[in-house]
Amino acid sequence: MSLHKLRLAAAVPVTISTFSSRLFLKPFPNTLTLGLFSRRLQPRKPLLVRAFSASAAVQDIPANQTTVSSARRPQWKASIDFKWIRDNKEAVEINIKNRNSNADLDAVLELYENMVNLQKEVERLREERNNVAKKMKGKLEPSERDRLVEEGKYLKESLVSLEEDLVKLKDELQHVAQSIPNMTHPDVPVGGEDSSAIRKEVGCPREFNFPIKDHLQLGKDLDLIDFDSAAEVSGSKFFYLKNEAVLLEMALLNWTLSQVMKKGYTPLTTPEIVRSSIVEKCGFQPRGDNTQVYSIDGTDQCLIGTAEIPLGGIHMDSILLESALPLKYIAFSHCFRTEAGAAGAATKGLYRVHQFSKAEMFVICRPEDSEFFHHELIQIEEDLFTSLGLHFKTLDMATADLGAPAYRKFDIEAWMPGFGRFGEISSASNCTDYQSRRLGIRYRPSEPLQTGPNKGKANLPATKFVHTLNATACAVPRMMVCLLENYQQEDGSVVIPEPLRPFMGGIELIKPKLK
Amino acid sequence: MSLHKLRLAAAVPVTISTFSSRLFLKPFPNTLTLGLFSRRLQPRKPLLVRAFSASAAVQDIPATQTSESSARPQWKASIDFKWIRDNKEAVEINIKNRNSNANLDAVLELYENMLNLQKEVERLREERNNVAKKMKGKLESSERERLVEEGKNLKESLVTLEEDLVKLKDELQHVAQSIPNMTHPDVPVGGEDSSAIRKEVGCPREFNFPIKDHLQLGKDLDLIDFDSAAEVSGSKFFYLKNEAVLLEMALLNWTLSQVMKKGYTPLTTPEIVRSSIVEKCGFQPRGDNTQVYSIDGTDQCLIGTAEIPLGGIHMDSILLESALPLKYIAFSHCFRTEAGAAGAATKGLYRVHQFSKAEMFVICRPEDSEFFHHELIQIEEDLFTSLGLHFKTLDMATADLGAPAYRKFDIEAWMPGFGRFGEISSASNCTDYQSRRLGIRYRPSEPLQTGPKKGKANLPATKFVHTLNATACAVPRMMVCLLENYQQEDGSVVIPEPLRPFMGGIELIKPKLK
Repeated sequence: MSLHKLRLAAAVPVTISTFSSRLFLKPFPNTLTLGLFSRRLQPRKPLLVRAFSASAAVQDIPANQTTVSSARRPQWKASIDFKWIRDNKEAVEINIKNRNSNADLDAVLELYENMVNLQKEVERLREERNNVAKKMKGKLEPSERDRLVEEGKYLKESLVSLEEDLVKLKDELQHVAQSIPNMTHPDVPVGGEDSSAIRKEVGCPREFNFPIKDHLQLGKDLDLIDFDSAAEVSGSKFFYLKNEAVLLEMALLNWTLSQVMKKGYTPLTTPEIVRSSIVEKCGFQPRGDNTQVYSIDGTDQCLIGTAEIPLGGIHMDSILLESALPLKYIAFSHCFRTEAGAAGAATKGLYRVHQFSKAEMFVICRPEDSEFFHHELIQIEEDLFTSLGLHFKTLDMATADLGAPAYRKFDIEAWMPGFGRFGEISSASNCTDYQSRRLGIRYRPSEPLQTGPNKGKANLPATKFVHTLNATACAVPRMMVCLLENYQQEDGSVVIPEPLRPFMGGIELIKPKLK
Repeated sequence: MSLHKLRLAAAVPVTISTFSSRLFLKPFPNTLTLGLFSRRLQPRKPLLVRAFSASAAVQDIPATQTSESSARPQWKASIDFKWIRDNKEAVEINIKNRNSNANLDAVLELYENMLNLQKEVERLREERNNVAKKMKGKLESSERERLVEEGKNLKESLVTLEEDLVKLKDELQHVAQSIPNMTHPDVPVGGEDSSAIRKEVGCPREFNFPIKDHLQLGKDLDLIDFDSAAEVSGSKFFYLKNEAVLLEMALLNWTLSQVMKKGYTPLTTPEIVRSSIVEKCGFQPRGDNTQVYSIDGTDQCLIGTAEIPLGGIHMDSILLESALPLKYIAFSHCFRTEAGAAGAATKGLYRVHQFSKAEMFVICRPEDSEFFHHELIQIEEDLFTSLGLHFKTLDMATADLGAPAYRKFDIEAWMPGFGRFGEISSASNCTDYQSRRLGIRYRPSEPLQTGPKKGKANLPATKFVHTLNATACAVPRMMVCLLENYQQEDGSVVIPEPLRPFMGGIELIKPKLK
């Protein structure tokens, strides 16, 4: 009878406190833990790499869509490794603190324990019900049969109740656990933005012996950028590119694609409207007041803020062959961002805009290879920007500056003379299995596991989650800021860097137009 | 006092019948008409070119946003009502020919009512002024009181009538915006079957092997991925892959370079625009069957064609005549809901939710728009001829024209996989339909010859420009043509020569080794 107390009225919203205080509080049996998950307790560093991760907190559904039960149910579930979290509680706790995350580990652990216990209770009841059913197969006194019928009925009711509770508890666990950030590479500096470490610095700021213009002024004087018309037609922070700027955008993208394809990356164009669940699975928040994501009216679709999203989605819910890995993509897309909450000087001109063109790299690989490809990606970025003659530095971003999906992130900041400071032009992140656990991207190792018990040839090796990495190859507007401002001449013209010239019909110089 | 009958209760929605039956029914004085608008009664043909136009019907606002005020139009088209009235028969025939559901009688009635109400308002204003004037002198106190009372009454009546006038003008806009542009006299009258073939180039390629459609080629050559896109985005979305990405870039680069040679200025455009711009260009951003994706929580939409931000770039401005023509070639992505589209013609890349397109747009003097319409179709024909396509150019029949078009040339190319011709481009002369909505005028350099000369300071009056738009390259449909027409027996696809320099010299898309 005490089981009935566990039943939650359908109308009561499931909250952490409901579960954590009312349900089982007995500690989880240690023996079971060790028995089931001992294979995780191997070398130390790889354990941290094995991120279990979790997306940025799922936000409340807007009021007009709310119904208590259905709205709360997550549309999809991340394969979060709760056992690993429990077994590495201290490391996870420190990581959450270092990353300045508001994830609630205690709540996760409590909910998980409750869930495991409830699951066991459900299994116990099922067994009991089976026993009752078995007993009823034999010859029985009618009174005994009546008793069993009654008991069976009661067990069935309890089970229905508990199974409902289990579903709710699992949903709640997802909800709370998805806010746990990825683990962090041990070499990442701990701290805020100021703690980020400079990995590399290339070139030096160009010295001008004439008064310089910023890209806005150059864009106006050379008839390259029209913000004013776009403000009328679309809103602020939209723009038209015009004349040589259009050719420069195409040249940047063509040249970037051709360079990156040489490294074995497959070119793609992607959908720019995607289901909002894909946005969430990649670790972005498509809803809420401060969302960066434009939503389509009347559908569950969003505009992409980066090609990383459709790239992450392309192999969603699939098991890849190990021999197919790594998959290396370079995708061209337009990107759309609300830039809610962005204001101030750093938002001037092309630096922060609602729509822009970008070439984005994306790698899907085995866990043991992700660090290698992270270095390949940053190397490609550095080579590209060096070829264009930019002055830049590469940063190993500090823990508090990492988004939830990143295990490690290298940013490149280039010198922008008009701003008189460095500005971010690209970013390369290793997301380890944070995204793949949400997107359901696995691979099947070619070799059978060495350590597992061999039960015969038919036994396929277990699937593993792939690692995903993403990196900017060319975010056009910020590249334009750099190129226009750094390559301006005293006469108001702008020199085109040599590598781009063959991609814009041999143009070497953007000259002021004759009016 | 009878004027009070004219007042509409604020809670009563303004409808055509309300106005047309309750308000003034006396005919409009003919003398005034002739006096004011005689300059329109000149040569006959140009009159038809002088379109007054009107966008596709403004749709009902969705229930969630409704309040009385939402019926107020956000913007007004400068519709030439006098011209409509004076060319009633031509307009009526045009509406019928174009299979439009515009209600000309309602427009004319509302317009007449509006004019009469306007005169009544002016009369009352004058009366009120007279009363005010009388009160300036010395008066008996009883006379003063009478005048105060009369002034008060007049003021109240005026307020009421002015409110009615605003509502009547809004209603007139609402109803009149559904009147389509006039039609070029050479356009064939009738439905789709009546469209006339202007030109036919090439002939269908004969294949001596079983051909594949572009979907099969796209799969076999690892060029197009619809399946992943269906999971990530929905049906009718796609990823381009490998050589298809290079082919898209080559098509756009080559097209841009060709069209720039003709003096067109290259542009990239915003792809999110205010919905009012969409309306002003003659598209319907709302309603169940809209082709337009709207952004949640804003008044913004995704563009279905770069024509929209191109039309908007000079919105609400007066251009110098010397600046005309303005010729643009813009690259953008386009987004369409394709609501209601279904069936065989929607297979593969033929009808998709998102695609890349290079679009030409011309802003010119009215007298030049026919010339530029022919320039645009010529550019299209030259481009498709260079790519070796088999196609025909059609002068689209009246019932096949959208509301903004005065005349439209479509190009249909042979698509072997479909075994039929499919539309790959379209060139429209919208005359002043869009410019009257977008507010794009120019000031002639020369003073008017016929107008009364009142001195050198008199600037010539502004006129509405004409706008034209034409597809230079809609990438997915070009891909259908190129893949299907240039396939080889071994499953490879030949790249047409003009595109090769734009894709790193690639001559052939070969099946990948797995």
